[in-house]
Parts: sequence; structure tokens; C-alpha cells
Amino acid sequence: MEPPKIWREKRGKYLAMGVECLDCMTKQFPFTENCVKCGSENVNEYKLATTGKVLYFSTVTQTTEEMMGSTPYLIAIIELDDGIKITSQIVDCNLLEAKEGMNVRMVFRVLARNGSEGLIRYGYKFAPI
Amino acid sequence: MNKVGIVSFGSYVPRYRIKVEEIAKVWDEDPIELKTQLQINSKSVPGPDEDVATMAVESARNAISRWKGKEKDIGAIYVGSESHPYAVKPTATIVAAALDVEKNLTAADLEFACKAGTAGMQMCFGLVKSQMISLGLAIGADSSQGRPRDPLEYTAGAGSAAFLIGSDNIIAELEGTQSVTTDMPDFWRREGAVYPSHGVKFTGQPAYFKHTIDASKSLMEELGAQPSDYQHVIFHQPNAKFPQAVAKMLGFSKEQIELGLICKHMGNAYSASSILGFANVLNHANPGDRILLTSYGSGAGSDSFSFTVTEEINNIRPYKYDAQYYLNRSEYIEYGKYARFKGILR
Repeated sequence: MEPPKIWREKRGKYLAMGVECLDCMTKQFPFTENCVKCGSENVNEYKLATTGKVLYFSTVTQTTEEMMGSTPYLIAIIELDDGIKITSQIVDCNLLEAKEGMNVRMVFRVLARNGSEGLIRYGYKFAPI
Repeated sequence: MNKVGIVSFGSYVPRYRIKVEEIAKVWDEDPIELKTQLQINSKSVPGPDEDVATMAVESARNAISRWKGKEKDIGAIYVGSESHPYAVKPTATIVAAALDVEKNLTAADLEFACKAGTAGMQMCFGLVKSQMISLGLAIGADSSQGRPRDPLEYTAGAGSAAFLIGSDNIIAELEGTQSVTTDMPDFWRREGAVYPSHGVKFTGQPAYFKHTIDASKSLMEELGAQPSDYQHVIFHQPNAKFPQAVAKMLGFSKEQIELGLICKHMGNAYSASSILGFANVLNHANPGDRILLTSYGSGAGSDSFSFTVTEEINNIRPYKYDAQYYLNRSEYIEYGKYARFKGILR
């Protein structure tokens, strides 16, 4: 978790800021400087919808070292109310409570801590409504 | 002089709770005696991915979501806490970024035991009233520490409350504020220490009660007010016994303290304690109601505030994610999971 990477990704992680192409109107996430569909550089920041529903989910038990303390946890593909699909952890939800079609809202959480002395990475996750 | 007051407010309490019985079971202590002493049934526990920054952001986002103003007008952010995630690196800047209100503002983290949240409110009232800023955001948030087996372990909870302070569309107008501050060795945590220490019974009479009573009386005297002039009163809640006792000493009734007494199921949220009670009162108060709020922070000091609720309150209610929503949602956990969430088990 290098400081420049955390700083660069801040708007995407904290605010779920994606991009909207002003030529072909495609919305996408995460932010890129060119439209992935038409290649245009004529793009604006676009803030994703903050609510949606779970399309699919899975329970993660084996993961990276910095996340092992959090296992088992839920990861889901969520369809937001603006139609964009996003992958995110589901929190405030027991493993047995999770279900497809569940309505969720964006919340602000710790994504990972670099030990007890390193930086803390924050960002969006989703919780049941 | 221009008016100043609360223009919006937001609350946050984590979902997890642990009961007094569950902690008492681990230490072979008598839960009935503890519950009689503390008058607390359970306390809130932050999830493993929650800290003061995440809770502060959630409460601030709730304050902004229910309000029709422009968050870009925020000129100051103060986050009061005794459990900031970093010793050096402000929580307030994380909040500013998560609200998308960087960068033309002043911001700082505050620490004054359990009253750093109200200290931030006073700073915002001063900045708005002197017209140095048009809108300020004051937050009190804590993920409180209690040493295993210490009496604090039964009460040290977590939560956050956020207040937008301005001079337009005020929902609760500030009538006055008074503080009492002395050097008091009742509760402390040294640099690098994980858990706080305290003076046990010394935390009561000369500390909590003296400061809370003096600040409340001083403010009421200045305003020419009586306890009977207020519909609601809120005090700091290290347990449920202290605020009820101090209310009685000052001449307030059970009805006046009831709505603001939120610690019975969530414990003591330290910097967020009295102001979460205030947020719950604002969710139910009527235009014209007068509210007295007095915090207490060890070390020690009390900030007392007198407010009058205005008609504007009806424009930001109802709101789904209010204090009651967070107080009502709860998942009770066992001590093992609590120890894991709190980092006692590594």
C-alpha cells in the first residue's frame, strides 16, 4: 500500500467516482482518462448511485495476507440503481443472511490496514438496507 | 448579532452489541449487581473494519443527506475523539475527502476525553457567529477502549454524531453556551498506552457531577432560565446512573431526560455520548422546545448549551437513518467475537 497509490485512488475509493463519456454517454467505473467504449478523452467524473441490489455473492475464506484477519467475508457483484455493476464487500450482514436480490447501500469502511504502523486504506463497501 | 445554530445533524452507531451478562460470564462477576450499578444492558461494538474515521463519515453523510444545503459551503471540520485511528494524520481530512468538500476549509482533530465533540461545536458556533465561515461541521466520534476486566469494559461503546452549524435555515438556535474547565486527574491515557486508567470513585463527585452541575447552572443563570423552562435535557452518559442522578440534583424530571438517555443499550460512546442523545432528541422535538445539553470530558470540563427548536426542523424530518434506526438495529455477539473485533485476540 504505497502512499501515491492510496492518494491517486482516493476519489474512486472514498466517493465511488467513476467516469461518464460526454460523446457516447457511456458510464463506467473505475475512473479512466479515456472512454472504454469509444476512446474519447471528453469525459467527466461521474458519481455512482449509492444504492443497488446484490446479483451474486460468495464467501471468501482464503485471501491476501492483509485481509486474512477479516475472513470469512462476503463479496458480491452489485447492480447499482444507475445500472452500473460493481464488485464490493458486503458488511453488517451475517453469512447466512446474504441473499441474491438483497437491497444494499454504500457505506464507508476500512478496506485494509498495513499492520499497526502503516497506512489505513478507506473506501466503499455495501451494507443491507 | 446574527443568529447561529444547528442546521442539520446525523448519527451513527455500529450494528454489533455485547451484553453485560456476556462480559460478566468471562470474569465470573455478578451481572445483576453490575446492571444495577451501571443501569446499562449492553454496549455497541464497532465491526473489524470500523473506526472513528468511518463512523465520523457515516454520521456526517447522514447530516448532509437529510439537508437541502450545499456541502461545498463547509468552511471548517472538527472531529473530536480520544480514539483517532492515527496519532499523527488527521481524521478530519479523511472526513473532508469522503464528503467531497476538500479543499478550501480549515480542519483539525480535537481531544478532550468525552467532550471533544462539543468543543468542536463551540468552535464552529464561534466561527459562524463571527462570520469567518458560513457553515461548520462538528463531529464527536469514538471507538472507546476499556481494559479487559476493568469496569469500563462493560460500558465503553462506539458511535458518532455530526452537526452542521450555520446561520441559515437553523433547526435549533443557540441561545448561549458556557464551559467549566479545571485540571482534574480522574481519567487518563498516556502516550502509547492501549487502555485508559481512571480514579474509580474519584470520577464521580469532584469530576463528573461538579463540572456538569456548574456548567449547567452557570448557563441557566446567564440566560435567566429554570430547569422547568426546558422540554429536554441531555448529559454525558458514562453509564445511565450518573446522568439520571445529575438531572435530579439540578431539578430536572425523568420525562425531561428520557429521550436523550440513549446509553442503556449502546453504552458510553465517549465523545459521541451526549451529542448522540442530543441527536435523538432533535429527531423528536417540536418547534418551540427548549433543549439543554451539557457534556462532560475527563481531565476535566463541561460544555453546556441552550437551544430553541425552530419550525425548520420539520424540513429535515423524517429521515430513515436517524439515531433511532441505529439504536434499534443490533446483532448480539459473544465475548470471543468481541475480543477479535476489538483486537484483543490477534
